[in-house]
Amino acid sequence: MFGYMGKILRVNLTDGKVSKEWLDESIARKFIGGRGLGAKILFDEVKPGVDPLRPENKLVIATGVVTGIPFPGNSCHSVMAKSPLTGIWGEAHAKGFFGPELKSAGFDAIIIEGKADAPVYLWINDEKAEIRNASHLWGKLTREAQNIIKMEVKDERAQVGCIGPAGENLVRFANVLFDYNHVAGRTGMGAVMGSKKLKAIAVRGTSRVRYAHEEKLVDLLLAKFTDKEALKGPYWPDGLYKFGSLADLSYWQTTGRLPTMNFKKCLFPAYEAVSAETLAESGYVIRHNTCPYCNVACNRATKINPPYEVDPEYATPEYESAAALSSFCMNSNLASVLKAIELCNKYGMDTISTGVVIAFMMECYEKGLTTKEDTEGLDLTWGNHESLVQLVEKIARRQGIGSLLAEGVKRAAEKIGRGAEEFAMHVKGLELPMHEFRGMKGHALAAATSNRGGCHLQVETDDLFEGQLCPEIGIDETTIPKNYRDRLYSGPEKVKLNKIVGDLFALFDSFVVCKWTVYPCGGTKITTLNEIVAAATGWDVTINELMKTGERIFNLCRAFNVREGITRKDDTLPKRFTEPLPEGPYKGETLSSGTLTEMLNYYYEFREWDKGTGVPTKKKLEELELGYVAKELESLGMLPTT
Amino acid sequence: MSKKFIVCDPDKCLGCQICEFACSADKVKSCNPLSSRIRVVNFEPQGSMAIACVLCEKAPCVTSCPTKALLKSERGIIQVEEKKCNGCGWCIAACRFGAITLDPSKNIVSICDLCAEDPKCVKFCPFEAISYATVEEAAPKFRRSAMGQLLQELISKP
Repeated sequence: MFGYMGKILRVNLTDGKVSKEWLDESIARKFIGGRGLGAKILFDEVKPGVDPLRPENKLVIATGVVTGIPFPGNSCHSVMAKSPLTGIWGEAHAKGFFGPELKSAGFDAIIIEGKADAPVYLWINDEKAEIRNASHLWGKLTREAQNIIKMEVKDERAQVGCIGPAGENLVRFANVLFDYNHVAGRTGMGAVMGSKKLKAIAVRGTSRVRYAHEEKLVDLLLAKFTDKEALKGPYWPDGLYKFGSLADLSYWQTTGRLPTMNFKKCLFPAYEAVSAETLAESGYVIRHNTCPYCNVACNRATKINPPYEVDPEYATPEYESAAALSSFCMNSNLASVLKAIELCNKYGMDTISTGVVIAFMMECYEKGLTTKEDTEGLDLTWGNHESLVQLVEKIARRQGIGSLLAEGVKRAAEKIGRGAEEFAMHVKGLELPMHEFRGMKGHALAAATSNRGGCHLQVETDDLFEGQLCPEIGIDETTIPKNYRDRLYSGPEKVKLNKIVGDLFALFDSFVVCKWTVYPCGGTKITTLNEIVAAATGWDVTINELMKTGERIFNLCRAFNVREGITRKDDTLPKRFTEPLPEGPYKGETLSSGTLTEMLNYYYEFREWDKGTGVPTKKKLEELELGYVAKELESLGMLPTT
Repeated sequence: MSKKFIVCDPDKCLGCQICEFACSADKVKSCNPLSSRIRVVNFEPQGSMAIACVLCEKAPCVTSCPTKALLKSERGIIQVEEKKCNGCGWCIAACRFGAITLDPSKNIVSICDLCAEDPKCVKFCPFEAISYATVEEAAPKFRRSAMGQLLQELISKP
């Protein structure tokens, strides 16, 4: 088989058994890798109703067909399991050197099952896998643990993915950190590793992937690198390099949709203090970083001196992280934002969930639902950055009030009660990302229906696709938004775009490719990706086949969720979005439940799912060669009878 | 005026390895960075830099070769006579810059040959970190960037 290593590593931490399995070419072609491969394995092997923090849950780390091919955006991998935060499909992506190194070590994916008696780490070196003692690493911060492991395996070039104390403490939104500031952030994959007592995974390899038509592939890639303008892409020709994703903060503010004060407001008056422009001039940025073979270099390292001393190894201000810990909490102190991000990375915790949970707590404090007595004396007035920074650490260590918040905003709100659930900003248990849905209706539908829960990465529409045609996949003049008013449009064309993008991004998350570098953000077109996959694997694959594969993967993840009890009733948004936006260019806009109902009706129609339940129909699943999935849902009484 | 060679600015280099791809793609039509004559070195956490042959005057690689497979040309490039090279690697050890690689596909060493005065790594580097310059041209650039960094550090100290 070309383009893949053809092998999966299975590690059972309960009995210490390590084994290699073949990756069948037909499975590779049907599920591509990344999310697709993970969904196949997890649907088949993790029975419904399993507690995600018990040994029966499994962790899958998967690369895809493009991982390791030298072009921008290739070097990604996925980390997947049943999520301890949401109880449904859990998935997070990380970039950097780990994915290509895993393939060089001989494996397309790793499956981790069971639970070790004592802390361990996995060392994979050119197909040899060893489970090693990690008791001396338990409790260590992420980079510390990584550096010690690199010394122990005696290889500086080993790539390490590890959890921090937050994962060890089973903070439900704990993440996994890979080499330099690359984080598999959302849905609590770090807690799954923590529950298995798996501190880290280290890989090193010297094998090469074999490509079917290497010379053709090289020509394609050379053509890509030669066109320097096309490399940059339409969305932000220079912005990502100059300002990083933090540039989004000023964009959302000036277009009146910056999530502020737990979605109570949409403009943050002090936004300039935490904007990318201010960061660029602050002198805090000491270095840019980039991923293998990528020209975008969106990553940057920052260093600050006391009082908020920040270690540059850890602090990279991405938009979502920064907004969640600044405008969302009414915090205008830039240094504290970077410090909070640094702590999240050191301890291994999702920055978005952390910010949302803190903002929730600030609203509870404002409303008197919690007082200084409950917070061990912390004053949680909006914008109190000293308290914010202290609270981050408390959550990671599960100290005092931190222990409640470590359960995620949904559970914390249930515990506090007295109406707190009304302003717990999540969908299906996943804390919402920093997008103001009342000003972008396509994204609202995406958050309500996404397979991870309240997620912004698995489907995008509105601003991102404005003016970006792609007729090869059905995104034509009728479907694309053309101007800012279209962001408010919630009719069938917007929903159709939502469906197409959902399939497309399922494909991207299976390739696994970085979305900054491909259509619509970046310069790599779908046609080029198709050619790259064909040249690498030797398959006569077409765009239609790839889109069908994306649709298959999207439906499989939905089936996984359906099996856990998800139906139409869970495709919702928090009540706050039915209230009008208080200010700005989109003042007065709401997302009424009537609008969402209409959008959902169109959505299920386009997806060919049952309208009443939102469950994929037998006909659809069979068409996507997922007949066995339909059979299983049927046997559980979960398949609609029409 | 001395000869031009490949020089990389460590302040601009981000270690992306696109130069490695450009080189191996051009020389052996391959994606394999191990066939590249320019190699990225990472110094965590300070940064990265790409190294290629610096055209030493009295090249130690040439003197160390036991089969006399290496020859310094008029232009200053080290030429490898493939038939004579047995892949022993003594030149790799002798090179003070680590600029020689063993090409795994042929088990013969490969050294930067400046792509007939049109170096591909320079063309493809997206951050313009690599230049094709003489020592005299390169020195002021390094001097400027070193001073710039020093001044930046002085300014940002509280």
